[in-house]
Amino acid sequence: MIKPVILCTLLTTSVFAQATPPPPAPPRPINWPAISESKLDNGLTVVLVPLHNVPKITAVLSLLAGRGTAYKTQPGVAQLAGRVANEGTSTRTSLQIKQELRSIGGSLTVGVDNDATTLSASSLSDSAPKLLDIISDVARHPAYPKSEVVLAKTNFAQEIEEERSSPDFLAQEQLDKALFGGHPYGFTVPAPAAIRNVTRDSLKTFAATYYVPNNAALVIVGDFNVATMRAEVAKAFGSWKRVALPPAPKLVLPVRDKRQIYVIDRPGSVQSTILIGAPAPPRRSPDYIPLRTTNMIYGGAFYSRLTRNIRESKGYTYSPFSTADLRRAAGTFTAGASVRNEVTGPTILEMLYELDRMRVEPVTAEELQSAKTYSIGGMELELESQSSLASRISTIYVDELSRDFLQTFRDKVAALTPADVQRSASKYFDTYRSAIVVVGDYKQIKDQIAPFGDVKLVK
Amino acid sequence: MKNVRLWLAVSLFAAAHAHAAAVNVPVVYDKMPNGLKVVISEAHAAPTVTVAVYYGIGFRVEPKGQTGFAHLFEHMMFQGSEHVKKFEHAKIVEANGGNLNGSTRLDYTNYYETLPAEGLETALWLEADRMRSLDVSADNLKNQQNVVSEEVRANVLNQPYGAFEWLDLWQNANQNWFNAHNFYGDLHDIDAAKIDDVRTFFKTYYAPNNAVLTIVGDVDPAAVRKLVDKYFASIPQQSIPKRPDVGEPLQTKEKRINQTDKLANLPALAFGYHLPDQQSADYAAAVLLDFILQGDDSSRFYQRLVKEKQTSIDWGGGINYELGNEFDYDGPMLMVSRTTYKPGHTADEILHEVDAIVSDLQQHGPTAREVADAKVRFRSSFYDSLETTGGKANLLASFALFRDDPSQINKVLPIFDAVTAAQIQSAAQKYFGASNRTSIDRVPAAKEAK
Repeated sequence: MIKPVILCTLLTTSVFAQATPPPPAPPRPINWPAISESKLDNGLTVVLVPLHNVPKITAVLSLLAGRGTAYKTQPGVAQLAGRVANEGTSTRTSLQIKQELRSIGGSLTVGVDNDATTLSASSLSDSAPKLLDIISDVARHPAYPKSEVVLAKTNFAQEIEEERSSPDFLAQEQLDKALFGGHPYGFTVPAPAAIRNVTRDSLKTFAATYYVPNNAALVIVGDFNVATMRAEVAKAFGSWKRVALPPAPKLVLPVRDKRQIYVIDRPGSVQSTILIGAPAPPRRSPDYIPLRTTNMIYGGAFYSRLTRNIRESKGYTYSPFSTADLRRAAGTFTAGASVRNEVTGPTILEMLYELDRMRVEPVTAEELQSAKTYSIGGMELELESQSSLASRISTIYVDELSRDFLQTFRDKVAALTPADVQRSASKYFDTYRSAIVVVGDYKQIKDQIAPFGDVKLVK
Repeated sequence: MKNVRLWLAVSLFAAAHAHAAAVNVPVVYDKMPNGLKVVISEAHAAPTVTVAVYYGIGFRVEPKGQTGFAHLFEHMMFQGSEHVKKFEHAKIVEANGGNLNGSTRLDYTNYYETLPAEGLETALWLEADRMRSLDVSADNLKNQQNVVSEEVRANVLNQPYGAFEWLDLWQNANQNWFNAHNFYGDLHDIDAAKIDDVRTFFKTYYAPNNAVLTIVGDVDPAAVRKLVDKYFASIPQQSIPKRPDVGEPLQTKEKRINQTDKLANLPALAFGYHLPDQQSADYAAAVLLDFILQGDDSSRFYQRLVKEKQTSIDWGGGINYELGNEFDYDGPMLMVSRTTYKPGHTADEILHEVDAIVSDLQQHGPTAREVADAKVRFRSSFYDSLETTGGKANLLASFALFRDDPSQINKVLPIFDAVTAAQIQSAAQKYFGASNRTSIDRVPAAKEAK
């Protein structure tokens, strides 16, 4: 029954179907949105980017206080300070903040990552003044109500407990610890006992120290008029007082001298979660764009070498990936995959092989051309969404990139050669000094991991 | 106090008088002689285009005895067609600067790419080639059976809670097999699929007269329409089997399920209520009620359980939760809530509070402010779903596929703006009683063994 049907389909197609893809239309110049930057007298950097796609605005206030700030003396203080800032100001209760936000179709979340405490907010564009007023209030006048501090401490501890059941969380935490050691980037979450030691006063002091205009950039993207928005920003943030920042601590990145494997035993695990990581430069480095493109060829795209190998050829895994996560002070290059227990060793072998192959042989011209188009196209696609564009532009300020980052991006990518890619791989795909983290059922995978180097069992 | 009051008054005024911009998405719609529905919508805010094909086959109606087959098949659509070799679809899209994916949902399976707009014709050619001619081998199938098994392990079997808030909840809340089977698939069933099953499924469901082609972006609709003719007009239609009855009998008694979890450290609770039909008069009220109950941190469930009683550490949920939005499905639906709660507390405590909150709404209805804010929030989230070409394509394709009228995208907001407090109260009475609810209490296994 089935065969004649298929034949019939093929006959039809041979008459009508075009056998090769139509050549793409020539690329058009990219009209990057106009970015107007200014600085208030108090030192706040203000960046306004109109994008008239929907009647909303998105505002991102980045305060340069990452989760590792002050973590040696008070682990968790940055995360709790950010979290509880959103739970009450000197004039608004937690509930009032949330109710006012919902009445303008708005939201405000506070996230604390490696480099910054970030207030990300959005609302209907006709309520922009109200949204700015709330953001300003939360950043400038967090009250840290006692009951909110107590609740946040309890819940933060519980959430960490919950996260510890996720193999991906455990793997990432261990990798950061391995690559950054005592550097603030090596800190992910505090121990439960440390959370108990964080006091309301320490949160207030933290906010007073770091939530200051001369330590911040405000990026607003959306449906607005620049002159009007500039006046609204001045109204909401103009009276924020500048405060001298504490001197930045001298930070040292650990030097890696050999490959080290870290295993976190997870009895009963039906997969091994594997990460292979190595240190990478800060994002402002000239190595960023070559490494970003090199990553796309290795594992940062769907049609990448890693996916073709361990997914489409061997069927070991569903979502292999690699990322070049470059931050303000340093970065990481990470490759990862979750695989069934019995192919743990073979997967590590292929991941390392593909890394080494990029160091030993130049990539093909076709691969590089694809990676370039993909890289540039991906940047254009970010123009569709207010939050994507706001995040992208925020990295210019948080990571201290050159102000013409977007405008020069295409040319810099287009100029890359196979030799540039090989140089980037040689420098940053250093498998001989990489950290390999495996979260899985150690009894079942022990013998598969041993051949790759020194194994440390981590608690 | 006075100051606070004043603030509230001001904010209500602003919301009530806010100028509500009407949604006016341009829609060009027609049906080709082979039955393919074509939706084109120009959008010039970004230099991009999304090409999406939605097939009217989701995991809800996949063949009995072959759980997970609709999703496994989705993977096969990247394994090659007459002129596009295995995985080259991804190669070509990315070489044109685009992103791509496919996904299997309750009532459709979609394939889409978003690219710089100059890649439009290439994307149409790619989608036409695989609509016309799937060309896959037994080896390709074996490979993707392995990949999908790893996907199930990564997202279900090796994760704490195992996605119980949609997989297990749907299986327990529903009685009709089509709504109550394992949508991701049992590993055994995934492994049992044969290449002939794949070919038959393609032939049966992947026909132009069971699909919507949607193009949204920085394009000229007339030029697009010509290209669509060029690539899709000659694909023959097929006879599509009648859709099975997915109707769900009325639930009359509360269902409580207990599960243990070997991987979780904390207990969690998920529960769902059967909702009225999406095209019924009650639906918009039920959606707004969802916003009032659990739309954000100001909502009733969050405030009571996380802030006041401090039983839960988080609160999530919604309609078509984890699977889509309020409009991209066609059949029985649940409003789902999911919370991780603190050891020492119980699911009983949480459900008791939930019932008290619902009971208050059943007796007194929502406040005027809650109603006004729910509408503003709905409007704002609806704008979010229109922001990207992919989000817009999803709504247009769903309205074309399920209602044969993509222009309904422009008619949603007035329906929601017209909902009254009394209608929301009535929805609370009709649909949010405990007898219409199924809950799963999932607790760490080790704890139970002690």
